[in-house]
Amino acid sequence: MFNVLAMMIQAQTTETKPPVYTDNASILHHMSDALHQSLYRVLSLLIAVLPGLLAFFVALAVFTLVGMVLSAILRHGLTWVKFDDRLTRYRGSGVDWTPTNSPTAIVARVSFWGCVLLGLVIGVSAFDASYATAASLPISLLPYLTHAVGAILLLIAGALIARFLARSVLIGAVNAQLQYARFLSLGVKWLVLVLTAAMVLDHLEIGGAVVELAFGILFGGIVLTLSLAIGLGSRDLVSRSLESRVERADRNLEVPPPGASGPGETLRHF
Amino acid sequence: MGTTNSMTEIRTAKDRQAGALMVLLIGAQAAQIEPLVSHLSSALPDEDLLIAMPEGSAAEARSGLRFVDLPASKASWMLTAADFAHAHQLAQKNEARSILMLGPEASSLEPEGLARLAGATSNGTADLLLPCYTLPSRAGLVNSAILYPLSRALFANRTRFPLAVDLGVSLRMADRLGAAAQRLVALNQSDVPLWAVSEAMVAGMKIEEVDAGPRTLPQPAEPDLNTILPFVTGSLFSDIEAKAAFWQRARVSPALQRQSGIANSAADGSTEVAPMLEGFRLAYTNLREIWGLVLPPNAMLGLKHLSTIDGAAFRMPEALWARSVFDFLIAYRMRTMNRGHLLGALIPLYLAWVASHINTIAAGEDPERHIEQHAAAFETEKAYLVARWRWPDRFNP
Repeated sequence: MFNVLAMMIQAQTTETKPPVYTDNASILHHMSDALHQSLYRVLSLLIAVLPGLLAFFVALAVFTLVGMVLSAILRHGLTWVKFDDRLTRYRGSGVDWTPTNSPTAIVARVSFWGCVLLGLVIGVSAFDASYATAASLPISLLPYLTHAVGAILLLIAGALIARFLARSVLIGAVNAQLQYARFLSLGVKWLVLVLTAAMVLDHLEIGGAVVELAFGILFGGIVLTLSLAIGLGSRDLVSRSLESRVERADRNLEVPPPGASGPGETLRHF
Repeated sequence: MGTTNSMTEIRTAKDRQAGALMVLLIGAQAAQIEPLVSHLSSALPDEDLLIAMPEGSAAEARSGLRFVDLPASKASWMLTAADFAHAHQLAQKNEARSILMLGPEASSLEPEGLARLAGATSNGTADLLLPCYTLPSRAGLVNSAILYPLSRALFANRTRFPLAVDLGVSLRMADRLGAAAQRLVALNQSDVPLWAVSEAMVAGMKIEEVDAGPRTLPQPAEPDLNTILPFVTGSLFSDIEAKAAFWQRARVSPALQRQSGIANSAADGSTEVAPMLEGFRLAYTNLREIWGLVLPPNAMLGLKHLSTIDGAAFRMPEALWARSVFDFLIAYRMRTMNRGHLLGALIPLYLAWVASHINTIAAGEDPERHIEQHAAAFETEKAYLVARWRWPDRFNP
């Protein structure tokens, strides 16, 4: 303490004259010192973060390997027990929501990506735990990463549901011979996508009340517009469509006597 | 002597009981049972008949006739897995030697047709006896367009009505159908149809066709084509997929001499064709992308050309229809899209075929000949199906 004071007094007594920058080497020396100090701080921070990063990548790599092994085992096992054939045969003719790929491939992929996701979560928690608590930049990534993963899953699910519903509505409307089939299908698709986007933003806690209000206004407006369009603008079209459907159903119920043929005989698909 | 006579009577009764022809009256209304029983009794006067009727039904007692209760099952317009399961159980329980299953509206069968069917079943000359009905030219269109051609091309059997409402089976055929039905019933799918022709062909059993004359085919309670067609076609596609190992081997169906199953009528069909063609054009505009996932480019080109044709000139080429059905079958197997969507997208194409068929009939052509031409096209294009089935990656639209 006294040495420091003595040094300070000495520095002050020696600094009576204003500094004269006549020596370039001292400027460079100062700059070099400053750069070295900042580099030292960055490296210190990096060294503090490095174990956490290493733990993250190790956890991710290990669980990815585990996922690959598990996926291969499941694929071989399910192929050996003829899982696809059993599922196909014993589910009969029931039309349901079946994906493009075989059930075996789906189970294998789900197990692989599940392990990767688990590795990601464990890696982030390991990174978070190993990060020095006395560091000057406290960053906790885990909660936001979890929300981000949830938001991505929401987005994927919403997109899949939107596509499925849009296609269902399109095919149903075409078979009902509705001229506005494509319009209906697009409307359903965008309604679901808007709902999904609002849920994702809410999940990520972006926008807060603004997003909720905007979504409410948009969604309510779309529904009100559709109701007015159908109720007022397309009233005649809808009633004609419904009448033609009822007429077609009545015609199908008529049972001609066996062996009947001639003009006006009913069209019977079965 | 009295003892010998009573033993003879007991032995005779036991023999008769063990060899009875069991007749199931499935879905028969109370008012229809008595005429049916009367016709059967007249057709087979020397035959021991065991009649299974819906519970609560009654019929006049006659010699040589015995009655048992048929377990209740969900009312349907066709024979379902539950019906076959009940038939098998009753046959085993009562030691019947053959079974005649008569579906709903069986009273509309003419006595001669019923007699032929019952007689053929009783004679036991084949394991599976299917009727050939005489229907109006605008009836049984799904069967003419899809079920019969597929069954003929893939299972090498020219039975005109593979999803018959009435049929006769031997005991061993009943065992096989009963086992297949039990699997479906165990999976809570008792109301799906069972494809007797494919089961018989795979098992190497003998099939015969019997001229049954005119009949009123029962209709679904809710006649919505958008629901029924995917249900029936999906069931057939599933059955074909399950029996792929059988039908991929080359087989030729033997030619059959049969009386025309469809009565000709050159009625003008323009009023029915116009909305179907309008629906087809609407479908082509809106479902083109979906069809493009299933059909190859040349089929899409063919459909594009068809969408420009109107009125009486609309004709769907046989090869185009056959390949389209096969492409949908491939897509069903490959799960190119949701199966409900896939079969829903088939409906406009089927209606286009119906429009073409009506135009052909209106032009004076024999409807049965037209259907046979289409079925022959299915046989010709079978190689295309086999190639795509075995090597699906070689072509991916």
